[in-house]
Amino acid sequence: MTGATRRDGYPVRVTVNGAARTVEVSSTETLLDALRWNLDLTGSKECCAEGECGACTVLVDGRAVNSCLVLAVESDGLDITTVEGLETGGPAGGRLSRLQDAFLEKGAVQCGFCIPGMVMAAQALLNENPHPRPDEVREGLAGNLCRCAGYQRIVDAVLLAAEEDA
Amino acid sequence: MRPFSYARPASLGETFDLLDSAGPGEIRPLVGGTDLIVGLQSGRIRPDVVVDLKHLADLPAGIEQVDGRLRISAPTSLTDIIGDARIRTWFPALAEAASTVGSVQIRNRASLTGNICNASPAFDTGPALLVHDAVVLLSSRDGDRRVPVADFVLGPRRTDLRAGEIATAVELPVPETPLRASFARLTRRRGVDLATLSLCCVVGPRRTRFAFGAVAPRPFVVDDDSGVLADPSSSPEDRDEVLRAMTAQASPITDVRGGADYRQAMLLVLGRRALAAARSRPVQSQPDGAR
Amino acid sequence: MSAPQIGVSTRRVGGRERVTGRQRFVGDVRLDNLLHVRLVTLDCARARIVAIDTTDAERVAGVRAVLTAADLPDPMPRFGPVYADRPVLAVGETRFHGEPVAAVAAETEEAAEEAAALVRVTVEELPAVLTVERALDPDAPLVQDPCLRKGPLAQTNTLREWHFGWGDVDAASAPCVVENTYTFPMVTHFAIEPHVFLASADHDGVTVWSAIQHPYLLQSTIATLLGLPIAKVRVIAPDPGGAFGGKQHAKFEPLVAFLALRTGRPCRLALTLAQTFQAVRRTAYRVRMRTGFAADGTIRFQDVVTDGLLGAYADIGVRVISKSTYLMCGPYRVPDARVHVRALLSHTPPATAFRGFGTPQVAWAVESQMDEAARRLGIDRLAIRLRNLAHRGEEVVRGDKPADGDWHEAVHKAAEAIGWGNPLPPGRGRGIGVAIKSSATTGASYAIVRLHMDGSATVMAGTSDMGQGARTVLAQIAANELGLTTDAVQVVMGDTGVAPFDLQTSASRSTVFMGTAVAEACRDVKRQLAGMATRAFGADDVGVGNGTVAVEGRTLSFPDLLVAGFAGVRGEVIGVGSRRGEADTAHPLGGAPSFYEFNCTAVEVEVDRETGELLIVKHVSVADVGKALNPAHVEAQDEGAAIMGLGHTLMEHLIFDEHGRIVNLGALDYRIPTTKDLPLELHSLLVENEDGPGPYGAKGAGEGGLFAVSPAVAAAVTEATGAVIRELPLTAERVWRALRTEG
Repeated sequence: MTGATRRDGYPVRVTVNGAARTVEVSSTETLLDALRWNLDLTGSKECCAEGECGACTVLVDGRAVNSCLVLAVESDGLDITTVEGLETGGPAGGRLSRLQDAFLEKGAVQCGFCIPGMVMAAQALLNENPHPRPDEVREGLAGNLCRCAGYQRIVDAVLLAAEEDA
Repeated sequence: MRPFSYARPASLGETFDLLDSAGPGEIRPLVGGTDLIVGLQSGRIRPDVVVDLKHLADLPAGIEQVDGRLRISAPTSLTDIIGDARIRTWFPALAEAASTVGSVQIRNRASLTGNICNASPAFDTGPALLVHDAVVLLSSRDGDRRVPVADFVLGPRRTDLRAGEIATAVELPVPETPLRASFARLTRRRGVDLATLSLCCVVGPRRTRFAFGAVAPRPFVVDDDSGVLADPSSSPEDRDEVLRAMTAQASPITDVRGGADYRQAMLLVLGRRALAAARSRPVQSQPDGAR
Repeated sequence: MSAPQIGVSTRRVGGRERVTGRQRFVGDVRLDNLLHVRLVTLDCARARIVAIDTTDAERVAGVRAVLTAADLPDPMPRFGPVYADRPVLAVGETRFHGEPVAAVAAETEEAAEEAAALVRVTVEELPAVLTVERALDPDAPLVQDPCLRKGPLAQTNTLREWHFGWGDVDAASAPCVVENTYTFPMVTHFAIEPHVFLASADHDGVTVWSAIQHPYLLQSTIATLLGLPIAKVRVIAPDPGGAFGGKQHAKFEPLVAFLALRTGRPCRLALTLAQTFQAVRRTAYRVRMRTGFAADGTIRFQDVVTDGLLGAYADIGVRVISKSTYLMCGPYRVPDARVHVRALLSHTPPATAFRGFGTPQVAWAVESQMDEAARRLGIDRLAIRLRNLAHRGEEVVRGDKPADGDWHEAVHKAAEAIGWGNPLPPGRGRGIGVAIKSSATTGASYAIVRLHMDGSATVMAGTSDMGQGARTVLAQIAANELGLTTDAVQVVMGDTGVAPFDLQTSASRSTVFMGTAVAEACRDVKRQLAGMATRAFGADDVGVGNGTVAVEGRTLSFPDLLVAGFAGVRGEVIGVGSRRGEADTAHPLGGAPSFYEFNCTAVEVEVDRETGELLIVKHVSVADVGKALNPAHVEAQDEGAAIMGLGHTLMEHLIFDEHGRIVNLGALDYRIPTTKDLPLELHSLLVENEDGPGPYGAKGAGEGGLFAVSPAVAAAVTEATGAVIRELPLTAERVWRALRTEG
């Protein structure tokens, strides 16, 4: 890709939810656009488009990232996990992850628009810190806005998932 | 977003070739992208070419100790900087400041050099870089140039970056004696926020140094060489007098984040607190596991 | 027959889709052959449109239409829920920052964006009316063209005026008179899902996709604007990703429908978050309040002038103002009251419904007055409230619906939970506030319940599930009535082509109105089952329970009866239910409240005297809900309302510059609470006396938690520091300024 002068038709090879995928993108597409429109993974959401709301959070090489602030072209070679990749046993009839189940158990989901990003941020937190304290959960999720403001139940859900994991 | 072309050079040499082939202002380096892409989306930044610096064989991400300096290469994320034991030991104010930049998601992508080159008057790592005498390493085909961060940032969105140059690293001199440093900031909410103001304080044996952010066109440093701030037996009144003189050099503006008079007054309040925090900070001379 | 489904915290229906990312929100809708729409707006609030040149824009490759007012019918089609005053595109003049003067439809988003930037609009900026004071200034420019308005007020910026009250305030006297002015700023909804609109002209009609709370009102709005029969307009309304009142009424659906008709292609407009700030906001209030108190704290009179600042068009904001100020005396007994209310137009984004529907603005003033009276009279702030708070059966508005709950019980519960009266550490204070909101006055909801051969059921209801959990609670009601678990109930919503009419999803009305309609449809099913049992078994002694039928001593399950009743050809039982609240033309609001939503909020706050920063140490919200059909979901909503209330109390406000532009346009500088802004402790408590008009004694819920947050927090700051603040939000800087004045 060195010295490229074109503006679209960039081939990007990524691993998404464990599967190798190749998509053609234009330079102006974000990773979020590519996931939603090229790969039809619409679980990741767009709200602020400036890295403030976290609705677009995905894992890139295991770390939580705002996919609205990553260009699709720069993600060539990355390993990406989206909310669609959390269920075990495939999307149809799959089994919810502990974390997803804890969100439902604690009543943490209201409108649900922020939830995919919230779940991914929480998953990243648990990957790094399997048994977080409540204040660590609050810190870890501070980049994810919820306007139904079920924050308390969301924090409780993450703690529950961590506890079950013990 | 206005269309542009994307380049992913494999070495510094290739990067310089790209820089040579484009005029100034038409080419933008990309590291974390957390500022750049917001600028692209809003149309504030309209480059012809975006050059991704994350895949240069001769500029890998990482932090290394070279000749008494700690060198943080451009592609290193803030998360990795915060997690580095040497940074936390020798430059605690920088670790603290970096950990307030955006959210976890932002810190996982954002870079320190990007933060500096973006040159926001409110950039959170600014005061910490200044108190720690950080230097930006600027590389071009003609060689390297080292410029203190204090001089490199000229004003809002303005830096001393020259045509054909890229910022490849930030270097911090490892202190001979442990520093007592602290960071403080004021925000409109407790979660992720841009700073209404931020500051850093380093208390040495005699000299006490403050750096302030978001209260002038660029972060700036003020030293107290009188010894009053460093002296544990000085009176609060004497300390306040010195602090007032130091903070008087700020020129805050009124904007959506706060009034000028409020910012000015808070410099003193947070200055006192940062001083107390720095003085009470236990210092460790060697990082765990560091050589 | 299964266990009762009511009063249990069933998991959210649709929850699985939401944690897996499979829920399809309106922005996830895919249509073939789609055109992308971009709006052309100006960089100021008010400007005369001199000329629009679309030549360059039309030359951009991929552009299929550039629509301006000249391309629309003359006179310009206008719409609005109360007044049809909002044009599809600005004509002659723009009236708020963000009002589109043209729209581009193109094959790609990039082409639409490029073309929108190339539409050359020649304008002359004009002075804008941005504040209550300016709107009332007789020399101020008129926001709306007087030709479009009727009556003597047409030559002013006062859209409407009301006089509420009773008794004789002029004759009333009181030893303690508290007189103050309170302001409540514009705040925006900030639903995490920005508005997305799609429209497609197909066959002889049009289909519109919008995550709208009132799909049936949108359906008739589009039908009227396009001259189509209602039956030829289909509104598909996917569950909104947060709405809070900001998705009640039509915004850009008419524009996108016109573009779809013009291009013959499906069109899609997705607003940016910043554009949603220019599309929806809360009504700003200025309340001047004079309250008389006896020495023992008894309220003698309430004398109020309230000005509500609307935007350029009335939207439903005009109703927000009248409905909230009708309860300007709060939940108290007031012997004499005089309430003068004006709804003012301004060159700002149209104010619309926003959770609480004006109640937080009213409570901010009423409750702050109570606190000041208590301080002046040396009475405990809890005691002064209990002294005046209406008991069940006592009127709060003379001649209208009396108190319909045990509000005192709620206040006692809140006081106990916050530890009222316990000693406080230095720098801390407590506050308590109460408020009532009038629920829906009129309206109609229809539901269809289809009982299938295997005993499972499909509920068809026009309610919108925007996170409040309507789908869950309607499934619970149907399951309970039909002896099922919620897993065996499918709730079909969000499509005017499928579900029967529902007036709206607002005013916390759905559990009461649609819940009743669903319960009634289930009873209709059961009546039909009784008839079926009589016919099938030739029996007269038939009793239909929840899930079973007793036929002359034998107990049959519903499926057994259906098999017997329908024999080999199969079929289903279709029940219909409705709940209507008819209009009362003699009532100032067109009808009495169907119930009052009552809340008591108490907080403990720590004040940093040096910086002005507030820390919410403890926050208690007590809601009188009649009966919580799903306690966990009721509490979750109440907690959410509490946090939203902390948002407008501590940090939220839209800031305008002299050109009428919103300065903090976007997530970066318009701050809403994050996880780290949660109170250290947050408790939602419920009062359940089964005294509501809904199924099983339920009342509506979910708004109350934000009613009284602001006065409670402000009173806590006063207790901690002595500083009294009468404007919002209580930013650190504002508290700091108040503290400096204080001392």
